[in-house]
Amino acid sequence: MLKMIVCMKQVPMVTELPWDTGTGSLKRDLAEGMMNPACKHALEAALRLKAEHDGHITAITMGPPMAEEVLREAIAMGADRCLMLSDRKMAGADTLVTSYTLARAIEIFCPDFDLILCGCHTSDSETAQVGPQLAEELDIPVIAYAEHVQLGDGSITIRRVSDNFLETLEMDMPGLITLTTHNYVPRYTPLAGLQDAFDEPNILIVSADDLGLDEAMTGIQGSPTRILDVFSPTAEKKNIVLTGAPKKIVEELFERFDDRIGSVIRKDLKVDRQSHG
Amino acid sequence: MEFNPCMKHKLVRKTVREFAEAELGPIAHEIDREARFPWEIIEKMRPLNFFGLQVPRKYGGADIDSISYAITIEEISRVSGAVGLCITVHNSVGIYPILKYGTAEQKQRYIPKLSSGECIGAFCLTEANAGSDAGGVETNAVRDGDSYIINGTKIFVTNGGVCALPLIFAITDPERGGGGASVFIMEKDLPGFSVGEIEDLCGMRANPVSSLFFEDCRVPKENLLGKEGEGMKIGLSALDTGRIGIGAQAVGIAQAAFEASVKYSKERQQFRKPISSFQTIQNMLADMATEIDASRLLVYRVCALKDAGRKFSKEAAMAKLYCSGVASRITGQAVQIHGGYGYSREYDVERYFRDAKVTEIYEGTSEVQRMVISRSVLTEPM
Amino acid sequence: MAEKTRSIWVFGDYRNYFQNRVTLQLLSRATDLAQKIDAEVCAVVFGHEVDEWVGEYIAHGAKKVFVTDHPMLKSYSTDLYVALMERLALTYDPEIILVGATSFGREFAPRVSKRLKTGLTADCVGLDMNEEGLLVQTAPAFGGNVLARIVTPGRRPQMATVRPGTFQEIPHNYEAAGEIVRVPLPANLPRDRVRLISSERQPPREQKIEDAAVVVCGGRGMGSRKKFRNLYDLARILGGEVGATRPVVYSKWAEEEALVGQADKHIQPKVLLSFGISGAIQHTAGITNADFIIAVNKNPNAAMMKMADVAIVADANQVCTAFIRELKRRIRS
Repeated sequence: MLKMIVCMKQVPMVTELPWDTGTGSLKRDLAEGMMNPACKHALEAALRLKAEHDGHITAITMGPPMAEEVLREAIAMGADRCLMLSDRKMAGADTLVTSYTLARAIEIFCPDFDLILCGCHTSDSETAQVGPQLAEELDIPVIAYAEHVQLGDGSITIRRVSDNFLETLEMDMPGLITLTTHNYVPRYTPLAGLQDAFDEPNILIVSADDLGLDEAMTGIQGSPTRILDVFSPTAEKKNIVLTGAPKKIVEELFERFDDRIGSVIRKDLKVDRQSHG
Repeated sequence: MEFNPCMKHKLVRKTVREFAEAELGPIAHEIDREARFPWEIIEKMRPLNFFGLQVPRKYGGADIDSISYAITIEEISRVSGAVGLCITVHNSVGIYPILKYGTAEQKQRYIPKLSSGECIGAFCLTEANAGSDAGGVETNAVRDGDSYIINGTKIFVTNGGVCALPLIFAITDPERGGGGASVFIMEKDLPGFSVGEIEDLCGMRANPVSSLFFEDCRVPKENLLGKEGEGMKIGLSALDTGRIGIGAQAVGIAQAAFEASVKYSKERQQFRKPISSFQTIQNMLADMATEIDASRLLVYRVCALKDAGRKFSKEAAMAKLYCSGVASRITGQAVQIHGGYGYSREYDVERYFRDAKVTEIYEGTSEVQRMVISRSVLTEPM
Repeated sequence: MAEKTRSIWVFGDYRNYFQNRVTLQLLSRATDLAQKIDAEVCAVVFGHEVDEWVGEYIAHGAKKVFVTDHPMLKSYSTDLYVALMERLALTYDPEIILVGATSFGREFAPRVSKRLKTGLTADCVGLDMNEEGLLVQTAPAFGGNVLARIVTPGRRPQMATVRPGTFQEIPHNYEAAGEIVRVPLPANLPRDRVRLISSERQPPREQKIEDAAVVVCGGRGMGSRKKFRNLYDLARILGGEVGATRPVVYSKWAEEEALVGQADKHIQPKVLLSFGISGAIQHTAGITNADFIIAVNKNPNAAMMKMADVAIVADANQVCTAFIRELKRRIRS
């Protein structure tokens, strides 16, 4: 039996971010949540390993109560058990503290795991740090940015692209891998699974006290990094607007911005003889 | 009473929306243009239980609650009305009568094929001279030994061109007219059953609506659903459930038109301002939002009644009547907001406009819904 | 011992030296930062037969280089490198450690920060010093649509991974002097729990859209698959590549490879021509590094138009066609 843990985070759906134009900050409470895409790919990889090797999957998330949704979704897709770390004391944790908290939960509730799978990064904070830091906290090896996973005897073989190198690596188990979104395209959730996920109230909710967390290493208090401010870099661009007949516009473009476009374009200018017109 | 959607219903919506936008979204325009039934998407829908939404687990269904069902239909219809139509007709009038009136053998034999999507269902009532008046049905079934011999023609059958297990409404006792009607489970391969040409309709063009022909079509007596003469009862209860789906479908189409209108009105500039800054447009959007909300709540109420095992004929008729009217009105306004672009076939709003109209016609016209509602209103104690 | 000199360390990530100069860029920035807090810029190099890199780093600004050179370190190893870095940092107590946000750096730095129980800011696109002498790290979130300024006030070292291309390297100076500190391989290193089975350099593609100097991007606003083909003509004349939005790829107007804005898929052209793209966040996240953006859209309020240096309010396909004509006219004349 291959015992797997998939760590997942609920992130805001970012098709249209609701901005507070006054403060320039994100109105997170208005955004719907969703399972972070890379985490979903990690779950998919776990589900495929489970299908091949008689596995068991525990999904873990840390977040506000509404983050329970991603765990329900994980059950609907095929996870076996869920753990929800939710406590005001945990709020505002940076990656160092998040990985500490996750590690304590894993040590208490699933100490005999073989493999931990995480998404390579989240779409909101994009640090890509929790996976490697969790591995460090648990003192297990890590391979980040895995694209293909194959189970061996007591070890696991990973293929990945790392800085222009195509690597094949073998890692001892227990270990941790983080998955990219290049492979393991997540399955769609069947509706029967969704119904089951809400019929069985099998989510274990865990507080900071349950984990016996050291307060000096918990939540925003324990986090070494501080966010000074947040701003939107794209909102500031002053641009030039051109209107009118296309032909005139293009002529104007070359006239006014020859320095910007001409330099790049002219030296490479080529005509495809086959192309018509 | 709880008005916030629970986590389950939110997740059902996200799940179906994700599928519909990713898989159906890119082709919704094209399948309408080409009047093509998207088999490739149907294949992908099968393992996700879209064909057995409320079917019990033992027959391979998802067994979801009625609000989840309505949300599913709404979200598919928001992207493609025609595919939403296929799914709702299959699940409601195609399957529900067998579940409710079928024998154990019939359920065992047919429901798994339907709920897996291996066979697509349909319900055939309408004929050249019968629609709102089910009593005018001329298709007849004559008992002959262990079989019935069916003759007649059904028209405007939703899913007609692709169905494999349609339910046929036919007269078994001509003396009693509508009261002598029965319902049969038809199998695609039975000799004497054939499919006519696909109708060239104004909207819902990706659904292969067609005529079905029965020429001395011999059907084993085991295919009779319920008892002889129960046709009208079965038909009416089927339509009650069908109306929930059409209501939900109308909400989905209206929602799509509304979203397009909001987006366009913010982008479109006239008099150097986005048109959303004009009160005329704002009023339209406000009414649209309100009416869609009211529609949705009417649909959810029927769903709650149905799941509670209460009567819901009147409420289903009200939901269907109101939602279809709203869909028609809102899609018309959406075209108006889009101006010339709204009338262009390059944009989607004209498709919503065409698709919405028929929600006022099928599964009982708005006039029939008013008949059902008024009958109930006039007979119920005050 | 005299008062300890403060130091800023840069991890020597030399594996892809010719493609990826992030270590040199960091040495350059570290030199600027060091002046503000009166610190010494150091590089840290692990590997085997790495003297070439040691020389390069001194030539590019390192005043001191810590080197551990051993056959066991020949290929990059997270387990071993983390252990070495931990010991070095505990011994010399640097003020700041900077690591390039390469694939390896992003696996390596988090483990180091965890060992040292300090903060780490990911994938920074800006580094500065504030009045209190704290390193202000600017990091992107939400696909680059948001930037956050982050500090690590209470713990040392302050650590950041930095996106390649963020800073300019300083020209090399082979006359520059630097101290080389050779650190022997410790006896009790942990066993490496990850084994490299094979590693091959990926064959360079002919031209990747990620590297193209000119990219012509198209969205649904091009109108149809047929009209979208015009963008390929335009790109061919310009010697550029064609990019596409997700709806376009879904509609099969363009190949999957053309998709811009997929996670990890960022382009950095000198000139980006954007046709009929409204600017969904998934797409705009992939183009934040474009130098000069020309966007064409009927809708002047589209997000893409707001991001552009030049926003052309017109039909995308008509402008594309006019562009092709004008270019051909210029070539002939």
